[in-house]
Amino acid sequence: MGQLNITRRGFLKTAAAGVGVLSLTPELLDFKKWVHASTDATTTLVPTICNGCGNRCGIFAYVKNGRLWKIEGNPEANGNLGVVCPKGHGYLHDLYSPARLKSPLKRVNGGFEPISWEQAYKEIAQKINLILLNSGPQSIFWVNYPQSNHLYALRLMHALGSPHYFTHGSTCYTARNAGWVYTVGELPSNDLSNSRYIMIIGRNPAGGIDLGQMKRIVEAKEKGAKLVVVDPRHSETAILADEWLPIKPGTDLALLLAMINVMVKEGLYDKQFIAEKTVGFDQLEDEIVNYPPEWAERVCEIPAKTIVRITRELAKARPKALIHRGYHGAFGAQYLNSFQTVRALVIANSLLGNINREGGIYFPKSAMLGELQPKYPAPDLPQMGKLDGTGVPGRYPLGSYGDGIAHAIPELALRGELKVGFVYHNNPLRTNPNPKRVIAGYKKLELLVAIDTVLSETASIAHYVLPESFYLERTEAIDTKHSGKRAQVTLQQQVVKPMFDTRPGTQIIIELAKHLGIGKYFNFDIEEANRLRLKPCGVALEELKKRGVVEVGEKWKEGFSKLETPSGKVEIYSKTLDGLGFPAIPRWEEPLVSPDPKDPQSFRLLHGKQAIHTHSMTANQPVLMALSHRYDMMRLWMNKGKGSRLGLKDGDWVKIKSIVGEGKIRVRLTEGIHPSCVWLPSGYGIFSKHLKTAYDIGLNYNDFLPTYFDPTVGHSMSSEIVVQVSKDQEVRS
Amino acid sequence: MARYGMVIDETKCVGCHACRVACHNQNSLEEKEAYNHLEEREYGTFPNYGREFLPVQCQHCDNPPCVKVCPTGASHKRKDGVVLVNKDKCIGCKYCIAACPYNVRIIKKEGYIEKCRFCIEFVEKGEKPACMTTCMTGVRMFGDIDDPNSEISRYIVKHKLKQFKAELNTKPRIYYKRG
Repeated sequence: MGQLNITRRGFLKTAAAGVGVLSLTPELLDFKKWVHASTDATTTLVPTICNGCGNRCGIFAYVKNGRLWKIEGNPEANGNLGVVCPKGHGYLHDLYSPARLKSPLKRVNGGFEPISWEQAYKEIAQKINLILLNSGPQSIFWVNYPQSNHLYALRLMHALGSPHYFTHGSTCYTARNAGWVYTVGELPSNDLSNSRYIMIIGRNPAGGIDLGQMKRIVEAKEKGAKLVVVDPRHSETAILADEWLPIKPGTDLALLLAMINVMVKEGLYDKQFIAEKTVGFDQLEDEIVNYPPEWAERVCEIPAKTIVRITRELAKARPKALIHRGYHGAFGAQYLNSFQTVRALVIANSLLGNINREGGIYFPKSAMLGELQPKYPAPDLPQMGKLDGTGVPGRYPLGSYGDGIAHAIPELALRGELKVGFVYHNNPLRTNPNPKRVIAGYKKLELLVAIDTVLSETASIAHYVLPESFYLERTEAIDTKHSGKRAQVTLQQQVVKPMFDTRPGTQIIIELAKHLGIGKYFNFDIEEANRLRLKPCGVALEELKKRGVVEVGEKWKEGFSKLETPSGKVEIYSKTLDGLGFPAIPRWEEPLVSPDPKDPQSFRLLHGKQAIHTHSMTANQPVLMALSHRYDMMRLWMNKGKGSRLGLKDGDWVKIKSIVGEGKIRVRLTEGIHPSCVWLPSGYGIFSKHLKTAYDIGLNYNDFLPTYFDPTVGHSMSSEIVVQVSKDQEVRS
Repeated sequence: MARYGMVIDETKCVGCHACRVACHNQNSLEEKEAYNHLEEREYGTFPNYGREFLPVQCQHCDNPPCVKVCPTGASHKRKDGVVLVNKDKCIGCKYCIAACPYNVRIIKKEGYIEKCRFCIEFVEKGEKPACMTTCMTGVRMFGDIDDPNSEISRYIVKHKLKQFKAELNTKPRIYYKRG
């Protein structure tokens, strides 16, 4: 282990710093003593991957006197290009959080008792084997936030014979993914830095932070690109925009249909691209006459002449022009019409001829990782389909089988179809719609095992809690998340030794498998598995350990010969959709619910991320929560004029109520939001009493969201919420 | 010798607070302490609306009111332009806090006053301040503003940048690009 006194600059120059794991002595756990002792201390630096959110940025972790000091961005990582966001800086302090789990826990008489790992594994395995006998393997599920360790989780589920692996996708992005996949065959990226005209609808990379995208947007703007942001709220990205178009929420589809109308009517589209690379333009021409800008203005409240002007500007800049591929907002899993919105968005991009073009939409390169088999044979794939209906005609035929519909789990548990659940790095009780129902479902399980670092809402009701080592204490499976114009492989590796009796998730899965009698599929450790995965990339694990991120494979090239669609082309008209009974050409669909325009208390409830919080996992971090309090960031955004009609002043308390929940919150009255909606930041409303910093601060939109499944992919339609907002008359001190 | 200064391009700030938390870690601050803050302003009426964030930290003034009022010489101006507090000399009287028009000084638990140090210990080793290097939109520039040919000096002249509250004659070493 080398302890080098080295700066990042020096590190990058040599790319050969010592990689070491430091242990913490008890006296250095005291922050004050450490600060005092650390002024001129030796510093060790380890490249790894941040876990402050799902972007998993490349970082260098600095350890000083055995204590984690700070992180900096790895400039080689395509996803963050050398910078770090506030969540990343703040989340590292959770390493020393008093809320951390220190050993495995077992639920006994309504409370938790610490037990040994051996006892936990044995008891869990016994219970599972009994349930397997009585109910079959399909009654077991695993749900986790998508991360490279899913390789292990999938193997475990398949070895048990269960198809039930879930991500959080159905509450986040499955409509977006399906819209792209069913039109161009895969989910692409945006070539922002080379674009001359960037239009972003609903996505807010400055708030739901994407560091690489923000750096590239700034770069494009410095080269003269125009940025147009369409969002009912003046998002943080809108601050950088040349134009902010505050659209009426739920009507983005109308805007896109009108833009397509203008492109077709005025012949602004790329005729050669449409002729050679697409199918169904004729059917589009027939349908799109129904959606002139004047019609769209009445629906989406963006003036017709603005729609025409923006469309002409976009077309003039083509093919180095793009409409952002989107994420969660405004069509990831938001509205009944989200899938059709994405279809229209892909078609609008295609008319710009920008598919896999520089400055447009492009298909990122992917690293071909090696397989663990044949050296470590894989279990057979389960023969039954998923009980949630993903990929099943008549249920959710366009749903993603890989993601599943995680927010259907409570229903399946209440029906007795799911009986055993593993929840890993995920917290459905707080992040799924309608928590009362989620709690009822998860409590019905005969066995619930949570793998986490703290007692989240979900872990709080588990039968067993297995404490995972903090991200800076553990090594994970090789990842390829940072791939862009070239593929990249990344490694999250241990920086400091575990402080408590915790274990890495991969080790927990391997050990569980051995106790479950399926150890033959797991006769490897993380080091060996990572070596096998890297092998075809021509990168030695040792090199990756030194650099954290390594580029592999060929460079991206413009153009394409054949797409991964049935026709091999962009499917403007989709035979597949027609066969399944969905519109084969996008057409206007109303949102499922809408506020009553005559009722001043009636609003649509929107939500979105703030740059300082991720899902439900950072609200308990005091450094980040200090910011929320200092800047009063928990408030509900409401249009100032609408607020005045309700007799509200900025900062007043309001009652907010939907058909499934109610709560109280203070308002931020602003001119920066469409009058028909209110907006709630999404990182608050923690109700686990074990998370003392976060407990009972702010509200969460899931408390107001009924349980919905859209008919295409089964997503949660998380902005289909109408709330009544009124002044809270209760006097407060 | 180099005399340091900074440019803050307010038009690029999206209010993410990464600068504050990076600074927090760099300087090993306590949970609620901060050496920099953001002031949010809104203007216009829906739908013609905009907002901006103004990042504020110690302006390292060439005519620093904090130094003038300090009874012990703890607050002092260095030859390289940086204003620092010598914590061994500081008696915690808070005159400097009252005198500073930028509201950027904090009282440490131990009783002395502290504030942005331009990460000078790191700058002396060839690095840049943590608030600057972490920023995704590149709000800050840092360098020798007494060298007329430095990148930062040329930028200040090219964009005719002004200081914050320049009318107070504090002569700050931070220049702002405003919208």
